[in-house]
Amino acid sequence: MENKKILLFGYGHHGKFIAQGLVDDGFDVQVVESDEKFYTQALEDGFKKAIKIDVTQDMALINLKPECYAQLVCVMDDEHLNVFLTLSLRSLFSQSYILAISDSIHTTKKLQMAGANKVIDLYEVSANKIHNILNRPVATQLLEEFVVHKNGIGFKELIIPEDSFLHGLMTDDIDLSEHGVLLVGLIDEERGHHFEFITAGINHKLDSGDTLVCIGDEEKLKDFEELIKKGSV
Amino acid sequence: MNKILLSIALYLHASKAYRQSKSFVRDLLTNANNPYKKYVDITIIFLIITSVVILIYEVKHPVPAWLDFYDIYIVSFVFSIEYLLRLWVHNDISESIISEQKESHFLGRAFSPIGVLGEGMLEKLKYMLTPSALIDLLAIFPAYRPLRVLRIFVLFRVLKLLRYTKSINQFTEVLSNKKFELLTLLFLLFFIVMTAGIAIYVMEEQTNPNIDSLFDAIYWALITISTVGYGDISPVTPEGRTISILIIISGIAMISFATSVIVSAFSEKLSELKESRIIEQVNKSKSFLLVCGYGQMTKMFFRHYGSEYDNYIILENAQDRMDQARKDGYEAIHEDASRYETLKKFDTEHSDITILCLTASDVENIYITLNAKSISKKIKVIARANDASMISKFEYAGADHILMPNKVANSMIHTAITQPTMYKAIHAILTGKSIARIDEIHTYGCEDIIGQTIKELEFKRAKLLFMGIQRGKDFIFNPSSSEVVQKGDILLVMGREISLEYFKSLYNGEC
Repeated sequence: MENKKILLFGYGHHGKFIAQGLVDDGFDVQVVESDEKFYTQALEDGFKKAIKIDVTQDMALINLKPECYAQLVCVMDDEHLNVFLTLSLRSLFSQSYILAISDSIHTTKKLQMAGANKVIDLYEVSANKIHNILNRPVATQLLEEFVVHKNGIGFKELIIPEDSFLHGLMTDDIDLSEHGVLLVGLIDEERGHHFEFITAGINHKLDSGDTLVCIGDEEKLKDFEELIKKGSV
Repeated sequence: MNKILLSIALYLHASKAYRQSKSFVRDLLTNANNPYKKYVDITIIFLIITSVVILIYEVKHPVPAWLDFYDIYIVSFVFSIEYLLRLWVHNDISESIISEQKESHFLGRAFSPIGVLGEGMLEKLKYMLTPSALIDLLAIFPAYRPLRVLRIFVLFRVLKLLRYTKSINQFTEVLSNKKFELLTLLFLLFFIVMTAGIAIYVMEEQTNPNIDSLFDAIYWALITISTVGYGDISPVTPEGRTISILIIISGIAMISFATSVIVSAFSEKLSELKESRIIEQVNKSKSFLLVCGYGQMTKMFFRHYGSEYDNYIILENAQDRMDQARKDGYEAIHEDASRYETLKKFDTEHSDITILCLTASDVENIYITLNAKSISKKIKVIARANDASMISKFEYAGADHILMPNKVANSMIHTAITQPTMYKAIHAILTGKSIARIDEIHTYGCEDIIGQTIKELEFKRAKLLFMGIQRGKDFIFNPSSSEVVQKGDILLVMGREISLEYFKSLYNGEC
């Protein structure tokens, strides 16, 4: 991702962990808090640039220049404040990408109505997980390990560069498993900017600029990323 | 003599076959959860009903000899066997003789099995005198037709049905809770009937041609107080009529009192009865879910997946939440899952139980986990933990899966920020959307795939993406195409549900 700047509202239950995870992944995180306790905590944890503002004040929000950030993440502990903040941000910055967390069933809908691009419902994802554990225990466990790159295996997005050997090939004709990676799905720009699973049964024509989502050993994925830059193999 | 008794006891104690058969019979006759008990019950009920039908039919029609034979010998034979078996499994005399011997040896006193034998016999005799055992015994006798009065024995066969009907047992159980009230009432009834009976006898014995004895008088009093009033005996003097008025009034009062006692006993017990029915129902299924707590998590779980689970019970110890769960249309009972007695009600022996500890309190969840594991290691526990510091405690308690809602949500947000394209993919996979299910193919259901190489398996044909093999504790990601599938392997694939089913049908498996 080009712009790795994230504006994170809230350094409570969720914010603390998300902020640290993002920093580990090399993101530039700007923490914003309205609560004194959490603000001090953020400073202690090394977020020296953390700002304490009253998020209900529009001027304070405008001064943060949210338009310079790739994503605005609303994870304040106070869910009322979180909904209000989402609504304020949406009304002030219609182009921004807003991600919010919901701590209850009722809040999810409110956040969506307030204009969040994506709402992650704490209970919904957990309920899914329980269902998965009950029905596919092994697969669930493994998938989770893939997501957090445990055991070295994980997902990766790769954009097909110009002049890549993949350019012009059909997905049915290529077998990436010899490179130690599996193609899970892709964004075929010809068919619109949305993700499609390889198992949907469509034979895609690969072009430069398409995004591949692969799973594999991290080393192998890196090697593969280098490999696809080449014109031929 | 002592030695003979002891050696018999020791022989029985040592005999595995004896102990096994005894415990099998005991389980079969007394344990409601035994899978074969229902066949025994059905047989006995069938015998009872047929023998009663034969007797009723016989009143006006001649019956063939083989039916008589069936009624007199076969039914009685089966019933006597059942009676003897019940008597046999009631207690273990041999075990008490052995423990007595050990105790005497320990204390250095003279060993005498006679006392223990007597106690054991007394125990059996006590059992024989219980109403249900008496009914069983009397039901053995066939209704000997030539002697009309002996036909009464068929009534005992009908009474024997009581043992096999749950609702009658519950009825008596409910009434026994109101023993005090009912006894008071009965005593009062007895008192009034006797007083009124004696009074009418004294007043009208001379003048009333229908009253010849005290029995007639008491009979009249009972018929009047019960408001039945046949009218075969009626008072003729003003004094007698006054007594009638008084006992009719007290009769009405007493009937309404009795009715209210019984009704209140039932309404008090109604929810309990309902709950025990729910538990009974779920115990019959092979595997079921126990969901502890009806909070946001449970609500969300049921809202999304409730329709996919048939066998479950929600245990909630707050009345208002339990009511809410019932209002939402779910099977819920008002119980505290952290209590030993609560979980003990479920059949851990014959069913696979999975407990979801979803209450908002970690302490509560850990306690439920421990409680479940202390009852049976077989119970699978999926516990919710809110605090990361609790994870190790849950592991110690023995939870099979630990779920941290905060962590799950945080990692989803993390993925959504860092890998937005993949978020969709992972979210779809996690929620099991139809095109992107990651699923497991178990070799134990698909014997045909064992021994084949990955290359030979038709993943491509079924449009499945083969990801790897879980072998024991290891996961082999993207194994070479010459890898051979072994017994016990779990293959991890991604694809549509129909692809998966097609693949399974190719190898005629139900994995």
